[in-house]
Formats: sequence, structure tokens, C-alpha cells
Amino acid sequence: MSLPRYVARRLGQSVFTLLGVVTITFLLVNAAPGDPVRIFIGPSADASAIAAMRAQFGLDQPIHIRYIKYLMNVVQGDLGQSINYRVPVTQKILERLPATLLLVASSFTFAIITAVPIGVLSAQRRNQLSDHVFRIFGLIGVSTPSFWIGLLLIIILTYHLGLLPATGLVMPWAPPSAVDHATTRLDVLYQSGIHLIMPTLTLGTLQMAAIMRIERSSMLEVLNQEYVSLARAFGVSERTILRKHAFRNAQLPVLTVIGLNLTTALGGSVLTETVFSINGIGTLIITGVNARDYPLVLGTTLFYASLFVIGVLITDILYAYLDPRISYGDES
Amino acid sequence: MYIVLFIIVVAIWAFVDGVVLDYYFAERFWYSPITAPPGSRGLLPPVGITNEYGTGTWAHPLGTDHRGRDILVRLVYGSRIAIQIGIVATGVGATLGTIIGAVSGYYGGWIDDVLQRTVETFYAIPFIVLMIAIMSAFGRGLWIAIVGVSVITTPIFARLIRSEVLSVREEEYIEAAKAAGVRDRNIIRRHVIPNSLAPVLVQATLQIGVNILIVAALSFLGFGAQPPTPSWGAMLAQSRTYMLPDPWFSVWPGLAILVTVVGFNLVGDGLRDAFDPRLND
Repeated sequence: MSLPRYVARRLGQSVFTLLGVVTITFLLVNAAPGDPVRIFIGPSADASAIAAMRAQFGLDQPIHIRYIKYLMNVVQGDLGQSINYRVPVTQKILERLPATLLLVASSFTFAIITAVPIGVLSAQRRNQLSDHVFRIFGLIGVSTPSFWIGLLLIIILTYHLGLLPATGLVMPWAPPSAVDHATTRLDVLYQSGIHLIMPTLTLGTLQMAAIMRIERSSMLEVLNQEYVSLARAFGVSERTILRKHAFRNAQLPVLTVIGLNLTTALGGSVLTETVFSINGIGTLIITGVNARDYPLVLGTTLFYASLFVIGVLITDILYAYLDPRISYGDES
Repeated sequence: MYIVLFIIVVAIWAFVDGVVLDYYFAERFWYSPITAPPGSRGLLPPVGITNEYGTGTWAHPLGTDHRGRDILVRLVYGSRIAIQIGIVATGVGATLGTIIGAVSGYYGGWIDDVLQRTVETFYAIPFIVLMIAIMSAFGRGLWIAIVGVSVITTPIFARLIRSEVLSVREEEYIEAAKAAGVRDRNIIRRHVIPNSLAPVLVQATLQIGVNILIVAALSFLGFGAQPPTPSWGAMLAQSRTYMLPDPWFSVWPGLAILVTVVGFNLVGDGLRDAFDPRLND
């Protein structure tokens, strides 16, 4: 199968996955007890007002008709109307998207920049003291609840040292007039930076530890290959082996783990945003669930899933592109 | 090295669970798992202290929470909940996943396609978000959490065992069994699954840790065990209000989660090293 055909096939599969996501979340949300309209209007509303609102949100129709209607709307990019905020769900998501993207992007950058060199170093110095230290660090990293790291950081850096602000995010592109303690562009960037440090560490530590562990084991696996022994036998220096022969070949599993970790990071953003009171998509989901705002819950879940599906699609295509041996999913 | 670390962790855990349960609770008999009045597990403040948080004393080594309840007692009860959920949910998920994955991998074709797409669907939604959706639909609480975590654990094992089965399927002994007229069901049960099980065992051990983290996160967000049940995640959520006057309240439950999950990860890593001697130290 050629690369374009492989891409087309993966795209087709992604559509099915997203269809599945819509179906599952739609069923789950509709199984939820409690009438969103009643919760929104309050217990004292009269029957005609409730009926009018039900009709407005299409809740008076049977479930299969609502499902098909919802699908048709989703295909056209319409995720429905938020009951709680009274604005289109897409508008609400786009409003909250920058904060979440900034958070996820910065924590992934932090994780990759730190984890890859440490993983390589750890593999190179296998069973030496630094390797043990890094391994213990990695083990603790994947075993620590991210939100707890957030709480500890707030206690130490905000309450005891008074260094960093504990709540909110500042967008680096915000106008200076909209940001506290800022008069120039530089001030805004500074504020954005100090607001971002703790959430990045909170969300990034798990990713960092996970990438570090896979980097190490992947490097070790490659260093065990025969062509590396051959290079050693030819007297190629250990440094050159690492740089020229081992490193690139070890990056494929790392790439997969980074792609799959996107879903952990998106899930983790819900927690990180809660700890630092950031108005992102994660907190939007929580608000939606608590208010029984089911178009909002459906929309945000679907949006998260699409982000993940796109991320995995990109990793898969990169993988196929980087490793010519891959059979593009031709099974059996 | 992992073995030594593991023994240390187990020793600490045995100390906390054994010594503390025996002596510490004996002193405060209504907290003891045996002598406590039904339904009062770690929920009541000890006599003499009410509605106060405080730091460590001999009577309360880790201090008391905002309602004057002993933090250590609640941590120990919380460990039961965390480990129960971790093990039960992982067990159910691993069993279901193994069956689904084995069937999917063995038969291939459209069954495989349908199952794989379903598995991918569950993969695509972040676990926390899926769990929140499940719990908002079916209610909050411990049992819903267990069922939910089992559901989200299943695809992980289905995918894992499927890839194992794809290679086992081609083995000659499977062909021999087929030639001998063994039924498909028995081939899967007797030959395919047992020969694909090693990675499942490793993954299951690691997954217990992951599931404990997920349940803690859910409780932290208010979707897990409902108060006054002592759960680690909920304790962390409660401690957020008191981070300034009583920072240690936020430290202990997190540390408990960390130690427990590290323990399961060490066992998992050890098992993996044992099954895959190539990378053994």
C-alpha cells in the first residue's frame, strides 16, 4: 500500500472512531438522570415554560431523531446550543481553547526537551549512579498524581516563598491593558511566563517521566542490536554510535508514546485547570456536567476526542514516513 | 535494584497496615476495623477534639483534618478503598479485555474490525473525561467508579492481547490443534490465551497503579467515593481549603497515593524484567 492510500485509509478509520465517540457520549449523556431544562429554569417554573424550552432545545423529540439530528449538525460543524451559557457550544469551546492548548503545548515542550536527553544519558550510563537516580525519578514521576504536584507547588512556591501566582493563565498575546501589573508587551510576556510555570510542571511531569522511561528502554534495545556491536567492533567511538547509529532508530517507539500520551495530557488538563482555576476546556467539561448541560458535555468530549484522533493520525503518518519498513497496516 | 526498593516499600506498607491497625487503632477502639460501630469508619472526630485541624502530636502523628478527624486513620481506611478499586477494576477489565482481544485476534475479519474500532473509540476519549461522562450518567460513588474504571481498562487489554494472539495464532501447535479437530472455543481457551498471557500480567500490575491514580483524580474532582467516606483523592480536595494554615494536610494523602502506586509499578517492572530477560540488568 502506498503512503497516500495508507493516509486515506487511516483518515477513514478516524471518521469511524469519531462516529463511535459521538454515539457513546450521546448515549451516556442521555442516560443521565435529571432534566436539564428543569435544573436551568428552577423548580418554580410552570409547565408551559418548560414545554417551550424543551421544544427550543429539541428535547421533546424521541432519542433516535435527536441522535440523527445531532449527527447532521456535527457534520456541519454545529455542536448545538449550550443550555447553561445560552451560546453555541463551538463558540464556548473556541473561547476556552487557547488556554488549554497553551497549557498542553507548553507541558509537552517541557516534557520532550527534558526527557529525551535524560533518557539517552540514562541508557548510556546504564547501571551507574546517575542512571539509578534518573530511573527512580522516572518511577516516581509516573506514580505521582499530577494534581498533587500542583498542590505542593502552590504550597511551596506561592504560600511559602511568594514567588509565583497560584491561579489563572495569562495569554502571551493578550493586550497589555487587559492584564494586571502590565503596561508593556514585555510585562505581558513576563506575567504569562510566571503564570505558566506551575501548571506546566504539574501537567508535564507525568509526560516527562513516561517519555524518559520509553526513551531509555528504547535506546537500550537499539544498543543491543547487532549493527551496534558491529560498529563497536570496527572501533567506532561510543559517542558516534550513540549519535549516528542508535539515537535516530530509537526514536520510533518514543514517537508512538508521545502520540498516545496526548490523551493522558488532555485528561490531565482537566485536573490541572481545576487546581489552578484556569478557564480552559477541562473546567468547561466539569461545569457542563454539574449543570447537566448535555450539549456542552457532548461537544467538549467530542472536541477532545477529535484532538486526540488528529494527534494519533499525525504520529501514525510520521511513523510510516520515518520507517520505510512499516507495512502501512497491511495485516496478515 | 527494583527488588530492594520493592522490599522497602512493602516493609513500610506492612508496618503502616499492620502495626498501625493493631496498636494505633487498639488505642482508639472505635476506629478499629473490628471494634468500630458499623458505618463509623474513621468518620468521627476523637473525643476532646472537634472541628480543628492540627499538626502532629503523639496522639495524632499526622495531625487531624478540618473536622478534627485523625488523618492517619483516614489514610489507612482510604488505602483499602484505593487498593480494592485498583485490583477489582483491573481484574474485571483484564478478564473482559483478554476475552475480547483473543476472539478479535483469533478470528480476524469483520469481528476484528468492529472490535478494533470500538476499542479505538474508547481510547480516543481521555479516561478522566470518559469517567466523568459515565459517572454523570449513572451517578457518583464507589461502585459506579469501579464499573467505570473496568470499562475504560478493558480496551487496553483487548488491544494488548490481540497483538499477542496475532503472533500466537500462526504457531504450529495451533495448526496441530485445528488439524486434530479441537473446537475454536477450546483452542482460544486452552492454547491461545495461556500463551499470550505474560504481557497481560505485567500490564495488569502496572494498570492497578494507573487505576488508583484515576480513581484518586476522580475523587479529587468530586466524582468518586462521596464524603464522609475516607478516600485519598477526596482528602486532597478537602485539603485545598486549608493549604495555607495546614500544608501537611495536603501532603499526606498524596504521599500515600505515591507510595502505593510506586509499589505496584515496581512489581510490574520486576515482572517485565523477568519475562523479558534481554533488558535485564
